[in-house]
Amino acid sequence: MSFSRRNFLIATGVAAASTTVLSACSSGDKGSTDKNVPSMSQAKTVNIPVGTKADSTGPAPEVKGAVKGGTLYSLDQFDMDHMDPAQVYVSTEGAISRPILRGLTGYKVDDKGAAVLVGDVATDAGTMKNGGKTWTFTIKDGIKWEDGSALSMDDVRHTFERLFASFVTEGPRYVQQWLVGGDKYKGPYDGKHLDSLEISGNTVTFNLTEARTDFNYTLAMPGYSFVNKKKDTKEKYDKQPFALGPYRIGNRDIGKSLTYVRNEHWDPKTDPIRNAYPDKYVFQFGFELVASTDRYIADKGNDQYAMSIFNEVAPERMAQVMTNATLKKRVLTQIDTVTYYWPINMTRIKDLKVRQAINYAWPHQQLQTIRGGAASSALATTILSPVTPGYEHFDLYGTEKKPGGDPVKAKALLKEAGKVGQKLVIAYQASDTAVKSAVAIKNALEAAGFQVVNKQVDKSTFYTQIGKVDNTFDLFAAGWSPDWPNGYSVFYPCWDGKNIGDGRSNYAQLNDPGVNKAIDAAAKLTDVTQANKAWGEVDRQIMELAPVVPDYHSIRNWMHGSKVGGAVYDPGNTCLMLTKLYAMK
Amino acid sequence: MTSTDQQPFLSIKDLKVHFSTEDGVVKAVDGLSFDLIKGQTLGIVGESGSGKSVTNLTILGLHDPARTSIEGEILLDGQELLTATEREMERLRGNKMSMIFQDALASLSPYHTVGIQIAETYRKHTGCGKAEARKRAIEMLRRVGIPQPDMRVDDYPHQFSGGMRQRAMIAMALVCDPELLIADEPTTALDVTVQAQIMDLLKDLQQEFGTAIIFITHDLGVIADIADDVLVMYGGRCVERGTKKEVLRDPQHPYTLGLLNSMPSLTGPVDVPLTPIPGAPPSLLNPPSGCRFHPRCAFAEKVSGGKCSSERPLLEIVDGRGSACHLTTEQKQELFADFAATRHN
Amino acid sequence: MLRFLVRRTLGALVILLVISAVTFWLFYAIPRDPAMMSCGKNCTPDMLKQVRHNLGIDHPVPVQYWYWLKGIFVGRSYGDFGNCPAPCLGYSFANRQPVLGTILDRLPLTLSLAFGSAVVFIIFGVGAGMIAAVKQGKWQDKVASSGSLIASSLQIYFVGYIAMYFLVAKLGILNNPSYTPLTDNPAEWASGLLLPWLVLALIWTANYTRMSRSQLVETLSEDYVRTARAKGLSRRSVFFRFAWRGAMGPIVTIFGIDLATLIGGAIITETVFSLQGVGRLALKAVDQSDLPMVLGVTLLSASAIVVFNIIVDAVYALIDPRIRLA
Repeated sequence: MSFSRRNFLIATGVAAASTTVLSACSSGDKGSTDKNVPSMSQAKTVNIPVGTKADSTGPAPEVKGAVKGGTLYSLDQFDMDHMDPAQVYVSTEGAISRPILRGLTGYKVDDKGAAVLVGDVATDAGTMKNGGKTWTFTIKDGIKWEDGSALSMDDVRHTFERLFASFVTEGPRYVQQWLVGGDKYKGPYDGKHLDSLEISGNTVTFNLTEARTDFNYTLAMPGYSFVNKKKDTKEKYDKQPFALGPYRIGNRDIGKSLTYVRNEHWDPKTDPIRNAYPDKYVFQFGFELVASTDRYIADKGNDQYAMSIFNEVAPERMAQVMTNATLKKRVLTQIDTVTYYWPINMTRIKDLKVRQAINYAWPHQQLQTIRGGAASSALATTILSPVTPGYEHFDLYGTEKKPGGDPVKAKALLKEAGKVGQKLVIAYQASDTAVKSAVAIKNALEAAGFQVVNKQVDKSTFYTQIGKVDNTFDLFAAGWSPDWPNGYSVFYPCWDGKNIGDGRSNYAQLNDPGVNKAIDAAAKLTDVTQANKAWGEVDRQIMELAPVVPDYHSIRNWMHGSKVGGAVYDPGNTCLMLTKLYAMK
Repeated sequence: MTSTDQQPFLSIKDLKVHFSTEDGVVKAVDGLSFDLIKGQTLGIVGESGSGKSVTNLTILGLHDPARTSIEGEILLDGQELLTATEREMERLRGNKMSMIFQDALASLSPYHTVGIQIAETYRKHTGCGKAEARKRAIEMLRRVGIPQPDMRVDDYPHQFSGGMRQRAMIAMALVCDPELLIADEPTTALDVTVQAQIMDLLKDLQQEFGTAIIFITHDLGVIADIADDVLVMYGGRCVERGTKKEVLRDPQHPYTLGLLNSMPSLTGPVDVPLTPIPGAPPSLLNPPSGCRFHPRCAFAEKVSGGKCSSERPLLEIVDGRGSACHLTTEQKQELFADFAATRHN
Repeated sequence: MLRFLVRRTLGALVILLVISAVTFWLFYAIPRDPAMMSCGKNCTPDMLKQVRHNLGIDHPVPVQYWYWLKGIFVGRSYGDFGNCPAPCLGYSFANRQPVLGTILDRLPLTLSLAFGSAVVFIIFGVGAGMIAAVKQGKWQDKVASSGSLIASSLQIYFVGYIAMYFLVAKLGILNNPSYTPLTDNPAEWASGLLLPWLVLALIWTANYTRMSRSQLVETLSEDYVRTARAKGLSRRSVFFRFAWRGAMGPIVTIFGIDLATLIGGAIITETVFSLQGVGRLALKAVDQSDLPMVLGVTLLSASAIVVFNIIVDAVYALIDPRIRLA
């Protein structure tokens, strides 16, 4: 996710978090098993399987009770920073691009929110060879751009080659890293092609430097959606991308509004994912959370047909909305895939007992209260979120028994280690909530025998600073959300020893041979169920080393108008699924 | 020189002006009576706060009616002013009676030209057109001695010198040929040469139109120059009245005496020390009992029985002459002898 | 007058130049990295370098400032990003648009908001102040004075949401605030902005009530006002021709500055009423470390203040002949 969006989240208190990372997937279902986790069934969420060719064939199954026509509106705080898929990383940008952009693969979601990975523009979810080093996709017939021209193989090649251009700085970089020769390739604009991207007939083949058994999941990221080669205006494409989906951009007034109208050339028979009920979407920007929540509560005029992609129920209105059954019915509540945690600098804090003591002493409950209570966040005991496939529930440091922290146990551990009075420098980004949280943490840790120094760091340089190997912090606020729904996209970037380095994301600087080996092994598993089990084990293995204090998983609460139907969660974009919505008559 | 056979043009009887403030009632004027006939000048003398300015604003009806209670009677040419309507008063002000204020710079509107301010008064009371009023303004400016009046008429007050501003003020006050002119320390802020010029101007105008003038000042020298009669005020009351000559040469009240002693004489020996009146003017909120001057009076103990502090001395006017003091005539002659020695020649 | 205008305009340009330089310098003096805002999740040092190059912030600050200044007169090219013709105030990478275009796009709303509410608050504020001054100490004065005290302690966050709740959501008397260009549909323009005007004006009205009351009370006690009454002029004409004229100067001065401030963007009002004006543009620019946009809106606000200062001085000279323009 882009840093600017991080700031928005912090500034508005949506996430009420000290840091944010977004964009990912997982699947949600209604129903609750854990009192802290409002609405998901763990059994169902932990798996997003790869669908069959039949699953990948359009049209998308009808949403029960849905009707065609009408206009849907949105009430959102900010316009999208980016619409050029190559620059899209933030979940909201991905979500809003779904009605107009299509990629090779995507997530097909049923009415209940259960998801399956299917071919979107491709006939199926791809064919893997070479243990995952070679991937081939076949393009469907009848895929047309908004001007009626067919999606050409040139477009397919160009889409991936332009990811290497110098103006692309914000989108995901997985494919670029993995394609053979990608380290030297500078993009297609000087007439050169990337050899590892092979086009033959209507198939495209990716040759990777390493085995990537979940490459088809990676490609489902909105950042890998197709770009029309003839219409490619490079940097300027960001303003008005050319549409391949059921809608095209009708009008865009940057910062104020965005309108989607039907793309007459879209053929529903080619699309297993999108339903496209309303005739028009009008996205309206500039609404603070309180303003949009108040308008949902009032439910007047066009607002009855409104929903939000970004805006959640304002913290100030949370109690009012959640205690009113009629209002609550119009809220889509979903635990997020993000886990907010506090990595412990392993280079500086080498003693396991000290790190365990920090975990025991952690004031989870106080921090939750500071963030606004159980309606907006669930306590974390693991690195994986309950909605990320592979999640295994465990609680190594007694968080659920003593959510307020266990200073006695922590102090005892510290004494055992002979480190009573251990100094800890903790770093966090400047924000109201973060400052309050830091004070609570300091108090809790000092009660357990630590000596704590709080350091506030400017948000724009925060990740640069904690990302430096020789930083001077012992503990810092961070967070991670997987880019596609499995353990790999959590554990490899953040907990593999290979990712220690300036600007890399192994912030805790954990380099444990056992963990590294386990990550490698799990990544090679081709059976999804087996892989998920392995990732759950990696989670536990890491937590036993206590290189991090898992803090919380955020809970999203999106409200919508009374005439909006088909509101389900899109696990591919951790947002409302736009393409299943309909305007009630 | 008060002659009883002439009908007074202005007659004030037992005027009481009380202001209600948050701290209590201020008795700014407390039983004042006097008459003024046409063509005569009455000088009113007193320290600040003695009630002299309040008296004159009351005559013009410019007090704040909400906070002022007024008793008594003011007759202007036979017309009762205190019961007149606001409209009637507006017709009189600037017309039959007008006023010259002390600080011409502050008293003239900075936002309008001198000509407009003069012409405005004229138009209001005569209903004439703009052009005619302007002509009249130029004429008035000429009459008060402004050089090049046809040019200066379009100047703003700040473009005039101090003396010229005062002249313009006089021109404005006289534009409708008032029968009563109240001049409230019109020369205080001016230097002596200009002061003399202004005084001469007033005297000339009075001779020409027979205007009755009330001249307020704390400067006895000015009184000596212009007044026919003199009224000395202290603490909202009249303490002494008489002709100019009587009051200045033969003061009958210790306060008047004090005033005279505190100013240099142009005719007497130069080495006579000046003696200021000790103490401060009385508070009008809680005025002293009895004679209001007694706390500052050098002769209070000469009156037996502490009468000065318990009994208000009555002002008895005989032939326009009188004073309000408990001292007997003999005592005054004896006690005021020193003064006579320095001044009576 | 001409000399005054020429002299002041030159002065204004110098001020704006200084402000732009200071803004530039301050922007780089604070420990923020604008490049981080445009670098992805796994931002490597190489990519950060690329972003710096794309944003044009890989030059030394004085060089960047020089390019920026030059752009105002001769325009600028941003390579892949396109051209920015003169007068070019820079290119906002966050908005993917030249700064000037974005500001001009947002300005009509802000101007509508500013002038609309100004009309309301000047009429009601000064009107109430006049009544209070004339009826000094009476109930009208007490109502106006205590009313303005209450109103001035109100916050737009509070009044705005309350007003919307009752007038829009509950009673349905007014529509949700929205902006329609005046030239498109004057009726919709006014009805869409009525609520923001009233709420914004309510808070400002209080200031003007208090200020005009105290100014009028002061001028009503001026000697020249008494003189005017002594001339036989009626209370009414004295009030309007003399007292009011004297009170107008300070009110005009404050009004000019207030209006200029509003043109710089009414951030809170725009936020509460979900309107997209210059104020929120500024807020977002600061949050995103979007230097060109920060500079643009800073200059807009500064220009508004400088220009209105000149206007105020000229108007003041018209009101008060003692003031000479030079």
